[in-house]
Amino acid sequence: MSVADAPAAATSGRRRARLARFWPAEVLPFAVGILVWQVLSWLDIWPRVLFPSPLEVAQAFAADVASGVLLVNLWVSLKSLLLGFALGAAIAIPLGYLMGLNRASRDFFDPLVNLLQAIPGLAWIPFAILWFGLGQGAVTFIIVMSVFFPVLHNVLTGIRMVQPVLIEAVQTLGAGRAAVIGHVIFPATLPNLMTGVRLGIAFGFRSLVGGEMIASTDGLGYAIFNAQQYFQSARIAVGMLTIGITWLAMDRLILRPIEQRTTMRWGLVREGIETA
Amino acid sequence: MSDLLVARNVSKTYFDTVANDDVVALKGISLSVAAHEFVSVIGPSGCGKSTFLRIVAGLDAPTAGDVLVTGRKVTGPGADRGMVFQEYALLPWKTTEANVEFGLRLKGMPKAQRAAIAQRFIDLVGLKGFEKKYPHQLSGGMRQRAAVARVLANNPAILLMDEPFAAVDAMTRQRLQEELTAITASERTTVLFITHAIDEAVFLSDRVVALSGRPGRIVADIRIDLPRPRQWESLAGDGRFIRYRDELTQCIHENGATRETRKEPT
Repeated sequence: MSVADAPAAATSGRRRARLARFWPAEVLPFAVGILVWQVLSWLDIWPRVLFPSPLEVAQAFAADVASGVLLVNLWVSLKSLLLGFALGAAIAIPLGYLMGLNRASRDFFDPLVNLLQAIPGLAWIPFAILWFGLGQGAVTFIIVMSVFFPVLHNVLTGIRMVQPVLIEAVQTLGAGRAAVIGHVIFPATLPNLMTGVRLGIAFGFRSLVGGEMIASTDGLGYAIFNAQQYFQSARIAVGMLTIGITWLAMDRLILRPIEQRTTMRWGLVREGIETA
Repeated sequence: MSDLLVARNVSKTYFDTVANDDVVALKGISLSVAAHEFVSVIGPSGCGKSTFLRIVAGLDAPTAGDVLVTGRKVTGPGADRGMVFQEYALLPWKTTEANVEFGLRLKGMPKAQRAAIAQRFIDLVGLKGFEKKYPHQLSGGMRQRAAVARVLANNPAILLMDEPFAAVDAMTRQRLQEELTAITASERTTVLFITHAIDEAVFLSDRVVALSGRPGRIVADIRIDLPRPRQWESLAGDGRFIRYRDELTQCIHENGATRETRKEPT
């Protein structure tokens, strides 16, 4: 950059700073998204019933909140999701560490896991309905089957990536097996465990919506599916956006704070690479 | 016996999957280290010097022979043989302080007591003010200082060092070498130090043991009679230092670099 460019750059930098204060960085991407959406609906390319405007969706959202329908569906879906995730992770995480740390259990479980992991969670819908009947029981079962494999797989990957020198170093400080697992292997696998949790929840959401569309009579997935039957396109969007906002809230309020206090603080993972 | 470490006829043969053949890494190494002695083992790359250190640490098992430390046979890793690695090997999730007191915590020492000991060694290696930093916030030289403090705080019978300064820049390396001689002299630490740098070995040691190319055999065991404390500024041009260095250089060259045992791919 030449000297002559400097004042102009400084001015635009100040302008950017003022803009950033006016549009907090968190809000800007969503504002732009809604604006693009609004412009597209003003252009009137598609019929209203196929492409609802932001305003219509906001009105439908307000109406569904007021009638309580949205919160009931959200509550039903969240219960299935969290229960399904908790059950899936509660089996996958201990099994992952057991397989990663014990050869005999790895040799036994690995072929079974490989056989089952190619089967999508949604493929379990028929059995889920036969075993649990229509309803959230079947949906929860499908979520368990979807959450299980990404969590297990990431725990195993994490264990494979632990640097042997860290284990050897603490062994020469007097660490036995329990200390190696607690002070080295568990924290070292935390970045992958967090990836597994994220993927598990993301897969869980997919199965939640798919499962509710087929195997249930309530929940957000069912609400989306039902709205389509009545050409209520704004309510389809309400259901979709509710899922997105729910995930965003879980990420910002639970997962990110955990990562900021652990893996990021330890320098194991970064936000991104600006220097490259 | 007054020797703190005794290695008797240690040999190591392993199977090289690439060459599809047995490789003799070490052949009949017998070596003693007295208490408070600083002994370096040097040799061309592939001579098995690191393998020897790992056998002493209990991280590898010898194929034949055995190692005694304070009269007890080595059967696995233990706190009496603390090791400093080239890669620092600090735990990234622990601060300098927590890393340094980690060994004491494993022994079940009360918090206040281990904090006091950790602080003493953090001060000793010059990391005062960096107690709460995580390893990724420290420079390479500082990480290695923390790794040395971590082992010393644990009060091992012998400090094992595997090319600890190979990854830091030349200026930092000389500083760390000077600090290490000062610390091990004041703490009266027994040290077994592995390096491929002859001048480093002469500078630091009371004795330098040279290994031949693979399979590693002891080809020289030289007492370094230089006054302490040692500093590069006065020692680098010292005639005795140069003579030790040349003698060891010649010895290693005469006994050849490790022959490549890897077969050509067909």
